[in-house]
Amino acid sequence: MRAVIFCAALAALGMATPLAAAEVSIPVLVPITGFLSLEGTSQRNGAMLAIRNAPAGLNVRADVADTGTAPDVAVNALERALGRDAPTAIVASMLGTQVLAMLPIALEHKVPLLTVSGTASVTEKGNPYVFRFFPGDAITKVAHVRYAAEILKAKRLALIAQTTEYGQSGRAAIEAIAAKLGLEIVYEESVDVQLRDLSPVLGKVRAAKPDVLLLHLHAGPTALAIRQAAAMNLDIPIVAGSALHQPTTAALLEPAELRGVCAETNASPVSGGSPEMERFLQQYREQFKSEPDGYALGQYDGVMMALQAAAQGAATPAALTAALSSGTYRGLAMTYKSDGKGNMAHSAIIVCYDGRSRVPTVAKRYDDIDGVLAR
Amino acid sequence: MRIDPSRGLRAPLAVAAIGLALWPSVFSSAYDLRLFTLAGVYVLLVLGYQFIFGHVGALSLTQGAFFGLGAYASAILAVRGGWSFSETFVLSIAIAVALAALIAIPVLGLESHYFALATLGIAQVLLLVCREWAPLTGGVNGISGVPGIVLFGRAVPGGSPSLILVWSLVVIGAAVAWRIQRGLYGLAFHVVRSAPAAAGTIGLDSGRMRLAAFLLSAAYAGAAGALFVRVNGIVSPDVLEFPVMVTCLAMTVIGGATRVAGAFAGAFLLVYLPEWFRPLDKYYLIAYGAGLLVMIVAAPDGLLGAAARLRQRLMPETDVAPEPERLPRPEVPVTAPLIFRDVVKSFGGVKALQGVSFEVRRGEIVGLIGPNGSGKTTLINIATGLETCDGGAVLYGNQVLTGRAPFAIARLGIARTFQNICLAGELSALDNVAVARSLDPGVDIETARAQAMHLLETLGAANFAMSQVRALPHGVQRRIELARALAVQPQFVLLDEPAAGLSEREQADLAGQIKTLRTRGLAVLLIEHNMPFLAGLADRLICLHEGRVIGQGSPDEVRRNPRVIAAYLGEPPRVPA
Amino acid sequence: MLQVLANGLALAAAYALVALGFVLVANAANAVNFAQGDLVMAGGFVAVALSRLWPVPGIVLLPAVLAVMAVLGLALSAIAYFPLRGRPATAIFVSTIAVGLMLENGANAIFGAEPQAGPPLLPGAAIALGPVSLSRQSIAVIVTAAVLILALEFLFARLRFGWRLRATAQDREMAASIGIDVTWMIAFSFALGAALGGAAGLLLANSFFVTPTDGINYMLKAYIAVVIGGWGSIRGAVAGALLIALFEVVYPSLPLLVPALPVSWLFTETTATIILYGVVLAVLLLRPRGLFGEAVLRRA
Repeated sequence: MRAVIFCAALAALGMATPLAAAEVSIPVLVPITGFLSLEGTSQRNGAMLAIRNAPAGLNVRADVADTGTAPDVAVNALERALGRDAPTAIVASMLGTQVLAMLPIALEHKVPLLTVSGTASVTEKGNPYVFRFFPGDAITKVAHVRYAAEILKAKRLALIAQTTEYGQSGRAAIEAIAAKLGLEIVYEESVDVQLRDLSPVLGKVRAAKPDVLLLHLHAGPTALAIRQAAAMNLDIPIVAGSALHQPTTAALLEPAELRGVCAETNASPVSGGSPEMERFLQQYREQFKSEPDGYALGQYDGVMMALQAAAQGAATPAALTAALSSGTYRGLAMTYKSDGKGNMAHSAIIVCYDGRSRVPTVAKRYDDIDGVLAR
Repeated sequence: MRIDPSRGLRAPLAVAAIGLALWPSVFSSAYDLRLFTLAGVYVLLVLGYQFIFGHVGALSLTQGAFFGLGAYASAILAVRGGWSFSETFVLSIAIAVALAALIAIPVLGLESHYFALATLGIAQVLLLVCREWAPLTGGVNGISGVPGIVLFGRAVPGGSPSLILVWSLVVIGAAVAWRIQRGLYGLAFHVVRSAPAAAGTIGLDSGRMRLAAFLLSAAYAGAAGALFVRVNGIVSPDVLEFPVMVTCLAMTVIGGATRVAGAFAGAFLLVYLPEWFRPLDKYYLIAYGAGLLVMIVAAPDGLLGAAARLRQRLMPETDVAPEPERLPRPEVPVTAPLIFRDVVKSFGGVKALQGVSFEVRRGEIVGLIGPNGSGKTTLINIATGLETCDGGAVLYGNQVLTGRAPFAIARLGIARTFQNICLAGELSALDNVAVARSLDPGVDIETARAQAMHLLETLGAANFAMSQVRALPHGVQRRIELARALAVQPQFVLLDEPAAGLSEREQADLAGQIKTLRTRGLAVLLIEHNMPFLAGLADRLICLHEGRVIGQGSPDEVRRNPRVIAAYLGEPPRVPA
Repeated sequence: MLQVLANGLALAAAYALVALGFVLVANAANAVNFAQGDLVMAGGFVAVALSRLWPVPGIVLLPAVLAVMAVLGLALSAIAYFPLRGRPATAIFVSTIAVGLMLENGANAIFGAEPQAGPPLLPGAAIALGPVSLSRQSIAVIVTAAVLILALEFLFARLRFGWRLRATAQDREMAASIGIDVTWMIAFSFALGAALGGAAGLLLANSFFVTPTDGINYMLKAYIAVVIGGWGSIRGAVAGALLIALFEVVYPSLPLLVPALPVSWLFTETTATIILYGVVLAVLLLRPRGLFGEAVLRRA
């Protein structure tokens, strides 16, 4: 008897919920041309894959538009998307200047931006509509320096950073963390992105006799530094920034050059590690015929979090923003939760190359570095 | 031909202007208004670039840098200093112009490939400084949070109000640009660009014109940058990168480098096309390069130029030649002779002139003869300021001519023609002559044309007045050059092989005209190889050989001079008795 | 120290090839080929593409790269130079800028925007020379570039074809009047210039990678080298390239060599670049003829 009532109650519930699928629109506004096209394409692929795996009961529309390299083009794309659709959320370019340009408009229209930008300042403008699914420097650099100190037992560090905002914000973070851990930075220099010949800098690094060399550079310069360090037999362990983990960056180097080199990153999907990760890897390779990087996975997780929230009823921009600000989501790369400013990712990993292949293995996980998840 | 080829486009342009004015009412979403406003900003940038690139014809690669400088100046002053829109707007223009003035003096005099590199280098330095000087410029992330426009205490929000403000400034800028290039000044730019050697000799101070064009282009760019940053709310170093300069260049070339309407066409096309061709993404960019190439090869005066030519071909119209008007009487002429005193000139190791001295007096026709390479053209170049001399001087009255700029010498009353005709081929014969009237301050373009008509009539070239010079036969072009030389109302006319390539009839006409000049009290110095032509014409001959005067006197005396004979390889000149 | 010098020389060798290619065209056609930098980039990508088909050492691919780039140079002259003869110089600037754009975006469309590594010239690791190990690649680059430059010298000094090229470069009208087919000579100059640029691209692609946006950087280096060395002078182009490369490499290393100098912002790469531009501007203003060039006429 109880079973009958239970089933009847369920049936009644079933009829009370809306029969139509929830309509969600998530325009994907990322750089597909220009110098960030690789990362932008990763973002797009991650987003599209998440939409393909969207939870049942959702009807998702996703228009992809190119934001190029300049902030005003990104704003054009955003205005166009806002005018045409009624977007529930927006996948936003990871280029710092473009996100910063989009922020005021997101605020004005009250639409959340989902991004994987590494630029620190995007979450420091007091804008409640930006959600960053990539750990910032405050997270990744802790992993970066702690690995050198705890696992590689370094006391003396050398640092080569980029002169860009990305590079300088990372450098500041590294300096602070090193100071806190009692490590000495015996040499540091910041180099231009265009610079090709890093051997003078590496020569100065060698002369300073550090225990570990930390690199906080973009993809090309990272590969150059590693190659040139190998060519001059630098013989100092290198821990690079997240740029190295991207399969296209590792592809620039011979496996032998990568022996003993490690990198920090949010995630390294090609390293596998769990059945869900393997499934993601397989789907990604099938659909996009390329290897995913951490940006693709971060964007995937971000969009999935939004879609899950939408499937549970938060299908308007306002509701979605609230859900993203307060919810916790266990994604493929890590668990995400907002720290109140829009920083969703609080974990990082270190991957290392064994010199035999270009696919690294995960050497160490650092979870919940700033304690936000535990709150 | 049409004197003003754009005249034929008046009707279509008027329609286009009305369409443009109505566009924002039809396409009025926030996105469309934003694009339209951005297009206006680029119109301003291109209008500015037209001065230095289109009119002067110099490939300046700093236009993007001035644009970026204006943007940064506005951003820094607004965000860090709290200055208002009107203050930052004016200051952005001032700062851009100041930089232009600073670099103009050393850089503007350089040859084209050096000028391009120098301007490119300066742009790169500016980019590096903006990227590095983070405390001031915000480094690579630039400065965000630039406030919108606030005028007279009231905020001008984005969308229509900003659009109207920006476009009011665009209309003002376009009107100013149009006024400048319409009159004699605009024609003068043609000469500076297409016949630079001749420009100075008709009294045009090309140096000052180039400077003015450069400063104007910087001013427009600074204004455009100031508006750009307000529309976007953020400035970052990519506004100073080479692609922005290429965009400006492409807009100018594609629209039409010397036409105000071209700035509108180019800016609109290159702002809207990328938005319309979004689906093509990377392939659009290849098409963009291909489009620029096709334009510069097939339609160098851009879409507007092609449109004007098409209109002319479909519905040909010719302007009516103006009524001739006599030139005003010149002031009381100085009666001093033109004196060459011990003029010395070397080119590298070659001694072109080794102490040449002689005089040309008013009311004489003096022929300058000598074998090739004896220094005759060099002498005229020195007298008209196109070359400097290494020793000696050229004097006119108590004025020393050597060391002065060509335009100053022209204004003193010395005019010349060129051995290889140096006219602005794309202009009409009338306009080529009319430009030379610009050295008389009271003359406007209509008067100049009327006076030019008169000059052409006196030289028997009235029928060709409205034809494009490059299409005219050689003999006619020589007459037009002479008319142009006379247009500056000279006291001395220096002619460099004026009879070369002329038929017998034309030579006789020319001789007659030169004699008329003598009757009017002018002095003529003429370089010629054509002895029969000179014999009946010149009062005196001066023979140069290897940079020295080896004989002077009446034509008879000179042709019997044994040194002269020897210089011409033993052949006595055939002179009819 | 030796390694720094070796790297400097390797870079100088590659830049010299780029500058040579640039000056050849400047002389023969009296035109600035703004696409020279993008031709270097194209050469690098040709090397990348060929090495994917045939995974052999770069030195084996060199003749193929030279051939492909020569054809590209001929094509460049056909679309960007010859249709514009008789027009003012700015027209050719613009047309070559346009072709450069097409090359850059074409490379982007085909290969993507991220850097690619070209094949090493010779397989194998570093060579040990006493306490210092010199990268095999640096040495290979220096030797290859030297061979190419000597081959060019030989072409100009000994071969009739080279004489004809030189005559065209010196005085086109005179060359035409003695029966030289000036049009073909100019076209070949473009082909040669592109081939040299492409060779530089191959040499640089392994150590420094190749990215579609590299063009403007190499273009500027070539332009600067030719201005410092003297417009129109082949010796000057090589000398200028040497100076630039050594400056780029040695200046930031000065604190290593002279320990008394503070390792400060004054000796960074960025400062080196700014100083380089400053020097160029000074040369342009004070001695526009550069080191080996002829006197430069200023406008009237």
